[in-house]
Amino acid sequence: TMRNSGAMLILTFIAILILQAAGVSPPGKPRLTSCRSPEKETFTCWWEPGGDGGLPTTYALYYHLENSETVYECPDYRTAGENSCFFNKNDTSLWVNYNITVVASNALGKNISDPVEVDVVYIVQPNTPEHVTAVVVHDEQGPFVRVSWEKPRTADTRSGWITLLYQLRVKQEKDKEWEEYNAGMQKYYNVFSLHPDKEYMVQVRCKPDHGFWSEWTQTTYVKMPDYITRERSLWIMITIFFVFIVVILTWTLNVKRNSVKLCLLPAVPGPKIKGFDKQLLKSGKSEEVFNTLVIQGFPPTTDYDNLLVEYLEVFDNEEQELVLDGKDLSEDCMKSKSPSDIDSGRGSCDSHTLLLEKCMDGREGSGSNQHQYSQHGETRWASTESSESQGPEPGSPDSANGRGKTWPVVFSSPQPQPHHHYPVGAAKPAYHSVPEILNHLSPHAMSSNYHQLNHQDILQQERRFSKPACRHSQSYNQFNLDGIDTSAPGVAPSPSLEYVEVQRVNPENMLLLRPLSDPNREPEGSDCTREDYSKVKEVTSNNILLLQRDMSHQCVDDYSQADQCTTQQPPHPCKPAVHQSNSGMPQEAIRVMGNGYVDSTVLMPSY
Amino acid sequence: FGLSLPAVAVLLVALLCLDPHCRVGSAPICAHGPSGCHIPSLADLFDRVIQHSARMHSLSNDLHSEFEQYFLPSKNHIGKIYRKCHTSNILTPNGKDNAQKLAREELTEVILKLLMAWRDPLFQLHQSMAHQQDFNSFSSNKALEMGDMAHELRKGVEKVAEKMRVLGMLGNSVTGLSAAEAMLPLSDSGEAMSDYELLYCFRRDSNKVQNYLKILKCRIVPEHDC
Repeated sequence: TMRNSGAMLILTFIAILILQAAGVSPPGKPRLTSCRSPEKETFTCWWEPGGDGGLPTTYALYYHLENSETVYECPDYRTAGENSCFFNKNDTSLWVNYNITVVASNALGKNISDPVEVDVVYIVQPNTPEHVTAVVVHDEQGPFVRVSWEKPRTADTRSGWITLLYQLRVKQEKDKEWEEYNAGMQKYYNVFSLHPDKEYMVQVRCKPDHGFWSEWTQTTYVKMPDYITRERSLWIMITIFFVFIVVILTWTLNVKRNSVKLCLLPAVPGPKIKGFDKQLLKSGKSEEVFNTLVIQGFPPTTDYDNLLVEYLEVFDNEEQELVLDGKDLSEDCMKSKSPSDIDSGRGSCDSHTLLLEKCMDGREGSGSNQHQYSQHGETRWASTESSESQGPEPGSPDSANGRGKTWPVVFSSPQPQPHHHYPVGAAKPAYHSVPEILNHLSPHAMSSNYHQLNHQDILQQERRFSKPACRHSQSYNQFNLDGIDTSAPGVAPSPSLEYVEVQRVNPENMLLLRPLSDPNREPEGSDCTREDYSKVKEVTSNNILLLQRDMSHQCVDDYSQADQCTTQQPPHPCKPAVHQSNSGMPQEAIRVMGNGYVDSTVLMPSY
Repeated sequence: FGLSLPAVAVLLVALLCLDPHCRVGSAPICAHGPSGCHIPSLADLFDRVIQHSARMHSLSNDLHSEFEQYFLPSKNHIGKIYRKCHTSNILTPNGKDNAQKLAREELTEVILKLLMAWRDPLFQLHQSMAHQQDFNSFSSNKALEMGDMAHELRKGVEKVAEKMRVLGMLGNSVTGLSAAEAMLPLSDSGEAMSDYELLYCFRRDSNKVQNYLKILKCRIVPEHDC
């Protein structure tokens, strides 16, 4: 009756409450986790229980095939383990959907899982490959590893029922990422490009053409041998070859460095500015260097109009030839062979014709010649054309034109030059007046190398010498070359040019000069004038200009008279006669020009 | 029209200058005997056919996955919708043992039956997919290709059977397939199957074909692949 059913209901409800209070309940809902077939012939399904509800729970798996209502229970709960169901070959049908459910039941009730549709063909996951081996194979190109394995035992590939694809992976112990290789259906694989002397781990797995990948096999270890790759040895050889080539090139360049330098850096002509001190330029400031080039008092002002000292003509007494030292003849003759070619610091103005032209020009009042002499910082003792009647002078540097001869440089560079203009309309061109030289040189600082000619009273000496037949002048200017004498005693500088001849050298090592304007001068028509020129033998350290005596047969002693005046001096220098030279004259080396003139510039220190 | 008279004249001259002996003709492929020509062996034929079937199955798999992904998100629905495939009437071995018990001829016949049964339905499927806007053109093309492949596969299997018959491997029990074998994809209830059902059924059948062919091959020409 209703009352009974109601009472039953209430009792059931109370019982459930009591049971729940006691902690027991019907089982939870189980869940099928996966079904797998290893070889497409059998399969297994696993489930997980949902909770037993505190009471012992049993599970049962039921299935039915598609389009069939017949429900079957799992044939094997044990083979595959706990909570599993194993379907053997007889129970497995391919290409048929299985509808599988799991029922959990305990004393209080049961619970059914959600159904799962399974087609065995699509749940194939094979077992892992077996017997994986990795062997090092030595090849001429280098060693490599050959990995080989076998199919999982259960898979029947032989009948074509199942087709397996293999995959392997390799890495070193320390690497993070595996290197994977697909081997297709073959059961071996060659792994190249492994590093020498390293240990590698190898694993293999497989998959059916439609299905799941198997698990990876256990790790197989393989160690690569230590070898030098062909590529590396090739690089080593290439490197050695190139080093060799580089060494050879370097050696060749080193040997030929001069010509290479010439090729790459063609020689640039250095500055040839006379009197330009390169050392000073390198070390000092630029102002110092350029200051040395500055010539004070250039261009000459009109104060110096009449003070151009150009030449000093030094005459020897009588026909005495200067003593020559034969020792240095050869080298001096070499030097003096072509006097016009000698560039011993005299410059372009030293050429005779040029000089003549300039002197000629200068005579006309232009001051253009002045700078010629100032350029080189020298005074030049040169005599341009003497009187027209003069023939080629004895020992003149250029007998051909017999015009000019240049005397060696006496003064060093850069010194201000006394400039003298030619007096306009002077009859005698280009003779210096010695006193003027002295006067203008004296206020300037002069080194010890300078020679100073002291003008002495000519008249005092006049009586000392007898006048030879060919001697022209009777009055002499005596020059004392010793030391630097800044005073010019007792001689008034003549404002105009005065020609001076050196008559002779007296025993006191003095040059005896004689102004050519001396009335005692003999007419210059004779050819003996050239015999009046004396050759400077040398310059001693005491600033003594040593004149040379010509000791040819025409040579006579100082005080002796020449028997005859020869028109020409012998072209060859005289045999040196030591005893005839004045005592005290050092017999040092003379550089003599071939025509008998001494090139004392060579004796002087170069600047 | 760009061609002028000189161009035409040039063309004519060129044609005339062609070697008259150089005529296009058809030369027999294997005129010089077996050495000059590569006649595919039975193993090669089998390989080709198996590759073909693999490709066909992969196409059907892709189409089925697309369908499932876009149109039937819930997997649980699938099981309940199914109807019987129209090819379920054809007896096919459902296991390895059963398949191996079948004779070659029977196996070959099963394959051919299956392929024949799908000739029209695949065409129908393509038509249906092409007309619907739900499918993109890519899927429609796949369906078309699938249909063509099934057709070619059938032809290929027929050639293989012919070759086997020539070689004496097949008996004469293989009967030619008549047009009666061609079925209409009608379910039990007489309704036309939906596209999805067709795809589902064809996916399964193409797998069967591929599997049967492999068995057949490894039974007849067991070489390196078996």
